[in-house]
Amino acid sequence: MMDEKKHTSLHYEQELQAIKDSLIFLGALTEEATRNAMESLSGRDADLARKVIHDDDEIDRLDTALEEKCIRVLALRQPAAIDLRFITTAIKITGHLERIGDMAVNIAEKALILNNEPQLKPYIDLPRMTDLVRGMIRDSLDSFIRNDLAVAERVRQTEQIVDDLNEQIFRELLTYMLEDSRSINRSLMIMQISKNMERIADHAQGIADMVIYMLTGENVRHQNYPSSK
Amino acid sequence: MKRSLFFKIFFSYLVVIAFSFIVLSTFIKNEIQQVMTGQIVEELQTYAGLIDLSKTQFGLEQVRHIAYLSGSRVTLADVRGRVFADSEKDIAGLDNHLNRPEIQEARVRGKGKSVRFSQTLGVNMLYVAVTLHDKDQITGYVRLARPLHNVQNVIDQVYQTVFLTILIISIFSLILAILVSYQLAKPIRAMEQFTRKLRQGDLQGSILLNTSDETKTLADNINYLVEELQSKIRLANEEKSKLMTALTSIDEGVLIVNTHESIEMVSPSLIHILKEPYGKIAGKTLMEAFRNADLQRLFLKFRQSQETATGEITLGGLHPVILQVSISEIHGYPDEEKFMVVFHNVTRLKKLEQIRTDFIANVSHEIRTPLTAIIGYLETLQNGALESAEDARRFIDVMLRQAQRLHRLVEDLLTISKIELGEMEFHFEPILLSETVDHVISLLEAKAKEKKISMQNDLTRNLPPVKADRDRLCQILVNVLDNAVKFTGSGGRVTIDAEVQDNFVVLRIFDTGMGIPKEELQRLGERFYRVDKARSRELGGTGLGLSIVKHLMLVHGGKMEIDSRLGRGTSVSLFFPVSTMESSGQNGKKGNRI
Repeated sequence: MMDEKKHTSLHYEQELQAIKDSLIFLGALTEEATRNAMESLSGRDADLARKVIHDDDEIDRLDTALEEKCIRVLALRQPAAIDLRFITTAIKITGHLERIGDMAVNIAEKALILNNEPQLKPYIDLPRMTDLVRGMIRDSLDSFIRNDLAVAERVRQTEQIVDDLNEQIFRELLTYMLEDSRSINRSLMIMQISKNMERIADHAQGIADMVIYMLTGENVRHQNYPSSK
Repeated sequence: MKRSLFFKIFFSYLVVIAFSFIVLSTFIKNEIQQVMTGQIVEELQTYAGLIDLSKTQFGLEQVRHIAYLSGSRVTLADVRGRVFADSEKDIAGLDNHLNRPEIQEARVRGKGKSVRFSQTLGVNMLYVAVTLHDKDQITGYVRLARPLHNVQNVIDQVYQTVFLTILIISIFSLILAILVSYQLAKPIRAMEQFTRKLRQGDLQGSILLNTSDETKTLADNINYLVEELQSKIRLANEEKSKLMTALTSIDEGVLIVNTHESIEMVSPSLIHILKEPYGKIAGKTLMEAFRNADLQRLFLKFRQSQETATGEITLGGLHPVILQVSISEIHGYPDEEKFMVVFHNVTRLKKLEQIRTDFIANVSHEIRTPLTAIIGYLETLQNGALESAEDARRFIDVMLRQAQRLHRLVEDLLTISKIELGEMEFHFEPILLSETVDHVISLLEAKAKEKKISMQNDLTRNLPPVKADRDRLCQILVNVLDNAVKFTGSGGRVTIDAEVQDNFVVLRIFDTGMGIPKEELQRLGERFYRVDKARSRELGGTGLGLSIVKHLMLVHGGKMEIDSRLGRGTSVSLFFPVSTMESSGQNGKKGNRI
């Protein structure tokens, strides 16, 4: 009897670890998708863009599988306290990650169109933004896995920088559109890419907010959002 | 352990003693009762027989006398059982005695006896009855009664003695039990202590016993097992240290992962490869430790196919590490599966490969461009342009320029490969830099004038001579100064000065040109690396100039440093070693093959 009990708890431990691993895997995939989407744009690589769109299926599949895993544990193990908070947060995080994957697909789709047209301008701020956003995805998951409040706070701070970059790109593209009406179409597309990137940052922040809530019980969601929204 | 053993022995002794006591005392009691009762019966019967023989009518006085003599109560009854004399009681209160068992027995057999508990006296009474005769005619009965407390007394006495004996034996057996249990427990306790030590992991020593019984055999067996265990552990440790030595000495990083994907062992070389940000990875799962989707995919692929999986992953952001990973199963674990993940750092290899492919692509590109132009013009000539002398002349000019460019390129390539292969001959001699600089400036003056660039030699005359090869020194200076002129806009200035630093003369060439972005500085000197590709080619560069300078400076025992600010200009510093040779200049003429 004793032995069996120990075995079940070990099994339970492994189930929790599997959820954790799947989350990291999903995070790594979305991070990769974000990077590839941007590279497909800056490197004018249509194949890479198509790969991003294709690979999103894997992200969607993993998202569903992970959610199922979480619900199974909820139903069968009826976890309490820390484990319960962990699993409910995990379910919400996977939603965010899935959305990030979709954003990357949006970017890749725009990149496919833009790659057929002459480049409007060299991309400088967008890759910078991408690097920041990738760091945010990674940090937000890190804060969740390691229960690190400081890292979660850092994600919130980086989000502000990404917002500013997005604004800057908007302003810059506006001048292009004013100068040359033929560039409007391309400018708008780049704007959308930038906007998508900014929304990925929002999702990463959303994850960080939930981690802060999980760790401190303080609800920082829907706070300090830029007035533009 | 010792307590329970002692109690076991002591109690078994006690049980044996108690049992023998009960049996013995029962036997003794029965024997005593029988023998003594028999004696009393005989004695009383003798008295009764004497009364019968006397044939006299006894009065109360005589009866009491007889009772005194025989030590018993004497009762006389007639043939019908009526008591007519009793030594102790008044006959009036006595009932008919015919129904008493001893009288009944005497009536049938002549004499009878019975043991009964007397209510009046509170003890067991022995009754003996005999018939009174008168010529074969029963005339009455004489009965003698005596209390049996004497017998009980004797038995009590015997009991007391036996009990005392038992007590003494018990005390002896207690002492004996202590001794025996101690004796027995001693080797057992020694073995118990020893095995406890074993269980705690201390495998030193063995048990030494002075006994020669079964415990000795047991101790020997334990000793044997321990020795066996020790040698097995030693063997395992040796194997482990061999493995660890192997793992440490190879460059490849190795991980051992169990079925649940958690990392069980990390080789030191892997930690070296991964460096800081990965920290402690033992105990984590692969996913948690590496956060790498490619690695996870590779692992999943391996788990599905059960065949060794190989792939490449890139770790880290700013300075990525490219690792070739192969995952395979470790056989020989009976209960669970374990896997080995081997990481081979191919970052440098990849970089070299990249440089090589880049080089080939660059060389072919550089050669193709002038060749395409030459072929194009030749075809035009072939198609009739030859007829027009003016056009033909123009074409031939262009073709000559392109051919010259090709020639320069091939020359530069040859120079580089010669330097790299060490086939170039160097004649080192002490050279005064200012002379050479003047000479080179005179070579480039025409070109500089064309762009309205002033070239200024600020070298002082008192610089020590440097150790250099005259022709190569010229080549270096031409390359660097040519670059300076090329990339400086018209009206600019190129200045050359020098100073002594330790054992080097540092020659500095400043220009007021366009400058080079900071992030590109490091890559200058790579073959075919151009900061502004279009412009450089337009200016007739081969893309090998600075690469040649870099290599030549190395051969001279010096180095080249470039500093630049975008839009402000560039300074190239050439470090030449100060010559320690005689200043005659003739001695160093011998060919030095480097």
